[in-house]
Amino acid sequence: MTLFSLARKNIARNFSQYFLYIASMVFSIIIYFTFVTLKYSNTIAEQTASSQKLGSLMSGAAVILIFFVFIFIAYSNSFFMKKRKKEVALYALLGVRNRQIGFMLFFENLLLGLFSLIVGIVLGFLCSKGFMTILIHLMGYDVVAPFTFSAVAAMNTVIVFLVIFLVTSFQGYRLIYQFKLIDLFHASKKGEVAPKPSMIVAVLGVLLIVMGYWLAMQDLFTSKVWEKIGFPMTVLIILTTVILGTFLLFHSVTGFVLAMIKKNERWLWKGLHVITISQLLYRIRGNARTLTVIAVLSATTVTAGGAVYGLYYNTNDSAKTINPNTFMYQSTDAEMDKQVSAVVSDTKYDKNIEALSITFHTKELNSPSTFDSSDKREYTVIDEKTYNQLASLQHKEKLDVKDSYAVILDIGYDKRFSPIYTGKTITTGNGHPLTFQSFKTQSVLNVGTAGITVVVSDDQYKAMQNDGKALHYRVLGIDDASVDLSQKIENQLPEEALFSSGPQDYQTSLEGVGSLLFIGSFLGLVFLAATGSIIYFKVLTEAEEDKSQYNMLHKMGVSAKEMRKSIASQVFVIFVVPLVVGLLHSVVALKAFSSLLMMDLAKPVLLWMIAYTVIYGLYYFLTVASYNRIITLNNKTEG
Amino acid sequence: MEPLLKVENIKKVYGKLSAAYTALENVSFDIHEGEFVGIMGPSGAGKSTLLNLLATIDSPTEGKIYMKNKSIHDMKEAALSDFRREHLGFIFQDYNLLDSLTVKENILLPLAIAKIPAKKINHLVTQISKVFGIEDLLAKYPYQISGGQKQRTAAARALVTEPALILADEPTGALDSKSATDLLESLSSLNENNNSTIMMVTHDAFAASFCRRIIFIKDGSFSTEIYRRDQTRKAFFQEILDVHAAIGGEVDDVI
Repeated sequence: MTLFSLARKNIARNFSQYFLYIASMVFSIIIYFTFVTLKYSNTIAEQTASSQKLGSLMSGAAVILIFFVFIFIAYSNSFFMKKRKKEVALYALLGVRNRQIGFMLFFENLLLGLFSLIVGIVLGFLCSKGFMTILIHLMGYDVVAPFTFSAVAAMNTVIVFLVIFLVTSFQGYRLIYQFKLIDLFHASKKGEVAPKPSMIVAVLGVLLIVMGYWLAMQDLFTSKVWEKIGFPMTVLIILTTVILGTFLLFHSVTGFVLAMIKKNERWLWKGLHVITISQLLYRIRGNARTLTVIAVLSATTVTAGGAVYGLYYNTNDSAKTINPNTFMYQSTDAEMDKQVSAVVSDTKYDKNIEALSITFHTKELNSPSTFDSSDKREYTVIDEKTYNQLASLQHKEKLDVKDSYAVILDIGYDKRFSPIYTGKTITTGNGHPLTFQSFKTQSVLNVGTAGITVVVSDDQYKAMQNDGKALHYRVLGIDDASVDLSQKIENQLPEEALFSSGPQDYQTSLEGVGSLLFIGSFLGLVFLAATGSIIYFKVLTEAEEDKSQYNMLHKMGVSAKEMRKSIASQVFVIFVVPLVVGLLHSVVALKAFSSLLMMDLAKPVLLWMIAYTVIYGLYYFLTVASYNRIITLNNKTEG
Repeated sequence: MEPLLKVENIKKVYGKLSAAYTALENVSFDIHEGEFVGIMGPSGAGKSTLLNLLATIDSPTEGKIYMKNKSIHDMKEAALSDFRREHLGFIFQDYNLLDSLTVKENILLPLAIAKIPAKKINHLVTQISKVFGIEDLLAKYPYQISGGQKQRTAAARALVTEPALILADEPTGALDSKSATDLLESLSSLNENNNSTIMMVTHDAFAASFCRRIIFIKDGSFSTEIYRRDQTRKAFFQEILDVHAAIGGEVDDVI
């Protein structure tokens, strides 16, 4: 029997420990392989007109993935190596040369890596079909995802991971050289040096976070601070203050809170509370860095995912706002209408409407904050009757416009840059004045065809007949119209008809946002899994260190139930504190994002956060269960 | 006769400058082949530090340790590995068995490392396991056996290569008195019958009474030494207690 066969046996019997390590590697490989398969996939490239954009988006995401996967594998590798320090030390003490031990660890790690690579690529191949289907579905195509193996993707994955494994294997090789033998032996006995919480540091931490939040909440376009410091600098300052503040928060503030709890002896000296709080105090401060990483990762994942999901969620709405009618075009001759009618069937409504295109003198609308400061603006004018007719078809409120007054329909209205319409007066070339009695951010005409629309009273409309050009629009309302139908209609029409189509706009924005959503959720999934695993590994390392303590408690007659309760609450705090901080960060970031885009993201973001918290929660239960298993097993064997 | 082990004026300082703490100073002694030496002293006297130095897992700040006339801390890493493999055997207080290997595999680990042919390994393992009375446990895993059995397994592992020097760090520290007596008797008979050289650090006077010679250290330096000669173990035990009390060790600490 050789040393290597013994080492091999050791692997086989310690499989549960190795399993975790292999599983995290396989997971990383599956994710990465699937991702590059999609990147190189013809199906996707052929389908998207915006393929160039999608391609570079994917390449960018792939770089982030590599970076992340590397950190994740390095982390699990170091966790795994830590557990083996004692074994390695024993080999050294029994007279195996350092170089031999180093090579053993190096090859073992490389073999595990190769094994994971094969498993990962096979599983990744199976998964990529599923992911491809999801992506295609999200982008709104009706194509079946083909089941193809991409050799380029496999090569890419193999190269990337071989490099990663070589680096981590080298880490293993160096383990024996990095430490003195005596340290290896007493690795687990060394205590952590807990930093002392300081009041100043705690206050500083909170102040930094508040400052970052305050900066982020400023309006990007009107804030003096943003203007003065410049956009990239401000973003950098926000990130730095928030991350640093988070670190100080974990470093000191949590310490304070726990120390305060410790003063409440009546509560503390009841059952295992004393153990729970002391353990937390001991751990949380020493782990400020890991907790910060977890909080920041959570914040990034939730923010990015929430933003992208919010955009996706709002795509339908915004396509509807821009195109209140399914189709609309400017009709110039009856022949054109006939051809269109030949293609279209099953309309909910089909109307021909009259409108005027009038150029107004609009000096009064200008103000320092408006983007557009020209003296003349061209609006499409319709009468109240037409508006109300369409409004009832589109289930909108009716309007009542007084003579010589008007209502403007500007869906792009933004109080920061748009003119203040109400009360302002504009005049036609022939000297007819119109005063805005109000404005609406919804239109009844498709913006792509009609632009900004002004509604006037029926009499006023008649009076203005000669002030501009008369137009004929045709508006169609069709339920569940397809992109194909849209295409067919468009083929019948000349460019000048300014054809606008709800389904087409929806499809275009879906293509962009759908792939964004996919990449966003993909990366989100990776970040989430990695975040969960980092805490999992971390807590289990602590479990290994603490098992003798729990054995002692067991011997003192503490029931298993009480121990489980203490463990569950300790792990709960370790999980919840960074989650809460991370969610808080992302709420602020998303608030800033949504006011920037003038979108209501509350519902999609909430959904996203709930999804994140649920998966994160699963990790919590898994961790507590594993922790308990380690303790119970140890109590059983140690008696 | 040349001594097997020669410790010359060693000093060990932990930490730096103001925080420096001298664990050992001015310690010198010789150990000859076939001796069974106990190292005793109160807690914090530097016993474990001394053993770590002898085990080559730590190196002295000053002074030299010679084994078979070679300065062990001047050896290169590879030579040191060979040296440990060929000449040293270790027994730890907390056993240090690999949980994933059976008792048999744990015992044969050093032989496997030394690349001994399988047939010879079988023979050696059977032989040593008989000495320690664990031949029925060979197929079991460490978590299936008692503390005493684990320590006997660890001792068998230390002795199976027939090393020139066996270093034992509080081997009975975690054992009940029956298991401790069994282990000590096995060690003692190996010392008498096979002429094995054993050096044992202990704070337990009962365990120490199995030795042939006791070196006392106190506050990091050599204090005194006593030989058992032809006294009975009981009489030697009494003498150990007396000396221990005389150099200021607390009696509680001994028993």
